[in-house]
Amino acid sequence: MTGFDSFLQALTPLNVLFALFGVVAGTVIGSIPGLTATMAVAVLVPLTFTLDPASALILMGAIYTGAIYGGAYAAILLNTPGTPSAIATTFDGYPMARRGDGDLAVTLACLASVCGGLVGAFFLLTLAPPLSQVALAFGPVEYFWLAIFGLSLIAALSEGNLFKGLAGGAFGLLLSTVGVAEVSADVRLTFGSTVLLGGIQVVAALIGLYCIPVLIDLVATPDRHLRVESEPRGFRLPEAAAIVLRNKLNLVRSSVVGTLVGILPGAGGSVAGLVAYSEARRTARRGEDYGKGAPGGVLATEAANNATVGGGFIPTLVLGIPGTPPDAVILGALLVQGVRTGPQLFTSQGAIVYTFIWGLFLATILMLPTGLLIGRYAYRSIVGVPKALLVAGVAFMTVIGTFAIRNNTADVVIMILLGVVGWLVSRVGFAVSPIVLGLILGPIAEQGFVQAWTIGSAMQDLPGMFFGRSLSLGIIGFTLLSLLWPLGKAWLARRAEGPALTRLTRSASVRGATDWPTVVVALGMIGFGLLALYDAAGYRDADSAVFPVTVAGALIVFALVVLLRAALGFRNRETPQPGSTVRRVVLVLAMLAGAVLLPLIGFLASALLVFAVLTVTAMHDRWTARRAVVFALSGLFVVIGFTWLFRSVLLVPLPTPGLF
Amino acid sequence: MLTRRQFSATALAAGLAVALAGPALAFPDKPVDYIIPFGPGGESDISARLQQPFFKEKFGQDLVISYKEGGGGAVGWSQLNGLSGDGHTIMGINLPHVVVQPATKDVGYTTDELVPVYWFHYTPDAIVVRADSQFQSLQDLIDYAKENPGRLTMSGSGKGTANHLAQVQFDGMADIKTTYVAFKGTGAAVTALLGGQVMAEWGYTTVGAAQGDKVRLLAVAMEERHPLFPDVPTFAELGYDMVGGAWRGIAVPSSVPEEQRQAWSDMIAEINADPDFVKKMQDGGFALSDVPYGEMDAFMAEREAQYTERAREAGIIN
Repeated sequence: MTGFDSFLQALTPLNVLFALFGVVAGTVIGSIPGLTATMAVAVLVPLTFTLDPASALILMGAIYTGAIYGGAYAAILLNTPGTPSAIATTFDGYPMARRGDGDLAVTLACLASVCGGLVGAFFLLTLAPPLSQVALAFGPVEYFWLAIFGLSLIAALSEGNLFKGLAGGAFGLLLSTVGVAEVSADVRLTFGSTVLLGGIQVVAALIGLYCIPVLIDLVATPDRHLRVESEPRGFRLPEAAAIVLRNKLNLVRSSVVGTLVGILPGAGGSVAGLVAYSEARRTARRGEDYGKGAPGGVLATEAANNATVGGGFIPTLVLGIPGTPPDAVILGALLVQGVRTGPQLFTSQGAIVYTFIWGLFLATILMLPTGLLIGRYAYRSIVGVPKALLVAGVAFMTVIGTFAIRNNTADVVIMILLGVVGWLVSRVGFAVSPIVLGLILGPIAEQGFVQAWTIGSAMQDLPGMFFGRSLSLGIIGFTLLSLLWPLGKAWLARRAEGPALTRLTRSASVRGATDWPTVVVALGMIGFGLLALYDAAGYRDADSAVFPVTVAGALIVFALVVLLRAALGFRNRETPQPGSTVRRVVLVLAMLAGAVLLPLIGFLASALLVFAVLTVTAMHDRWTARRAVVFALSGLFVVIGFTWLFRSVLLVPLPTPGLF
Repeated sequence: MLTRRQFSATALAAGLAVALAGPALAFPDKPVDYIIPFGPGGESDISARLQQPFFKEKFGQDLVISYKEGGGGAVGWSQLNGLSGDGHTIMGINLPHVVVQPATKDVGYTTDELVPVYWFHYTPDAIVVRADSQFQSLQDLIDYAKENPGRLTMSGSGKGTANHLAQVQFDGMADIKTTYVAFKGTGAAVTALLGGQVMAEWGYTTVGAAQGDKVRLLAVAMEERHPLFPDVPTFAELGYDMVGGAWRGIAVPSSVPEEQRQAWSDMIAEINADPDFVKKMQDGGFALSDVPYGEMDAFMAEREAQYTERAREAGIIN
């Protein structure tokens, strides 16, 4: 019934070619921070007008699959999630790369992505109609609790200082409310500026918070970006296979989690990765150091986010409700072609659907060889490129990628400024990840809460709304479990083994003189909280105030605790940050100047200028004539090539006025 | 009262005139940037995608669609008048958004600053319930709401939107009190309806087209019944004078000269008159409307008055 003839249909040379091209193009696009799967698919829509519907679907599905996997490269090698789906990949992927295991992490990501993709496609093929009910069973209150579950990860990601993590999380939640509110007509925290109307774009924030700090530190010292072994070690497949075997349970669980979360239209790949990561971390065996480069973390996230591809298509095809943003684009393209999705699709147009699903299998399998090859190439280029070019090239990519998200120069400026904020706060012991978690989960938590509250009030049963639904109780249970589990484990271990382990689980802070930098950051956060409270007093709709007021209150309380501890002299162990401050400042100023110049002198002129400045700034070796020529030519090639690619192939309206 | 009309001889004549005059003017003479101030995949995107091939066929140039998402469209509209005025940059524009947003707060543009040249379709308001709902007719729903004030929950897309204003208007007309639950976009509002999180939805005819026999429309806010749903009554038939929905149109930067504004109006009219285009739009649940540039001022004045009044009733503006 699941149409083996459809499989043969999917195997036409043209479709195989589409799948191959789609996976390769998707992987490359996904690896560039800022270029998301949604955009990659949207660019293809006009192409599909002239294609046969099944082939068009295969092409779009393949691009989507590839793009989700490609996001892992930048996450692992540059600490920058190429797509929001890869956020949790950075947690362990980047530490692995730093210690010289970047090649291994990339190979693991490929294996996990293929596995997750196949599991998702399998569920889509066999159980789509019943599983689509998951999307309907999830109401506002369940989304609210799911977001709380995701936020509970903050406890684990706080790197030894819980209150700094909590304050960071609250800061991120508050940032997520900037702009026109999604479910009310109020405009929040824009302070009259039209630039902030659209809010803080999540991908721009990710690029800023994760990648800019890496660049700032990269430019300051002559050290290599990643540690490398002297001899190339190929794909390290046997090693990777052994790790996969050891993590088979993790892999399967993460793939299933990814499929299920993918089915939820309000969640998506980022949440899937975070939930799977959280579970993998909770059930980790002793000796697996999650957050410090445990391969299991990369496997869990990458399996889960690729499983969302198949999972997301379940409500898209069965209910006509897009599971993820790229699905919305694909649904639109189908509609234009006259294909009606919905319950009748599987029967009335079964041939197209099954051909597409088999095409998705095909694309996922093709991702194994292509993904390994492109991954090795990505690793080698990041490792092999001279530092001066690496810094300038990555900075260029962050700018062009951020612009392309919604064709807005303001996003580029916000991205750079957030990056500076991220670098500053992480120097005083605030981890960046809790802020990002807040930013991503904030809208889900807020909308879920306000909707559940409205419906619960109408039903005159608020307690029943929040605590009376079995699905909600299940999520609450898991949240408590993952919060209490580490404590319980530590307690058991202490009892069994005495004081040796206590030292390991103890907070990483030491006592000393007043920690002034932290005091300043905490004061800044309190100020932001007060500002938000002041702003909220002016909202017309009570629905738009309840969330920011609660979060601002929490932020102020957490920041006060941080302030007190810092004033009393508790501080994190210092990680020395050697290097040139001048170079750091020049990098930030050059990027900001470039962003401001974009609309004035045009994209290409501005990009070439900044590229040149950054290459000089990041150059720690001696300049020779040969180097100068090679660097200049590479710069021209990269900047002009990518500008052309974005402008003419991806149809991004890069600013043109002024020079060129 | 409303300017929405069936395809009239005038529109056809206008289309013909452009078809004859078009080549001589050689406008547009290069690809056109068509900016959608929302993300891809929504109604604005889909209707633009439907126009795309017809534009190419009739006028020989590509319509290149790009997205400038953010602030419920406000990011795009606040930047519209700063864009190139050579007539080759156009932007999607939506009602009631461009009336309600600037009335609420400073969003970087005012309604009068924008230059809409044509409103080419609208998605008529409709009350949607699940196929297994206890509400067989609009009267059932009204009866329930009368017996249980505030208990009838209805999902819809956002606040200050067509859905929300329709809820406010209808509550007033039927003298009932329902609870409006705002979701992010029509997709989420439909999901909540199908999942039984709410009892009904303020949606559009497009929801009925997409969801088929899983949902039932109780009434549509059109002057005549929608061809796709011949059995669904209009609100007017049931005694409620309610015609409206979310309009979508084309706007140009204010620096575009008069002749080109008119030329755009004529081009969009010509696409709107193509029977194939009409068929595709109607199959998707859209309803075509023809408000050309020449009738713009009267239409906008009337809409503005109506939306402002309802937004005031809803407590969104003073």
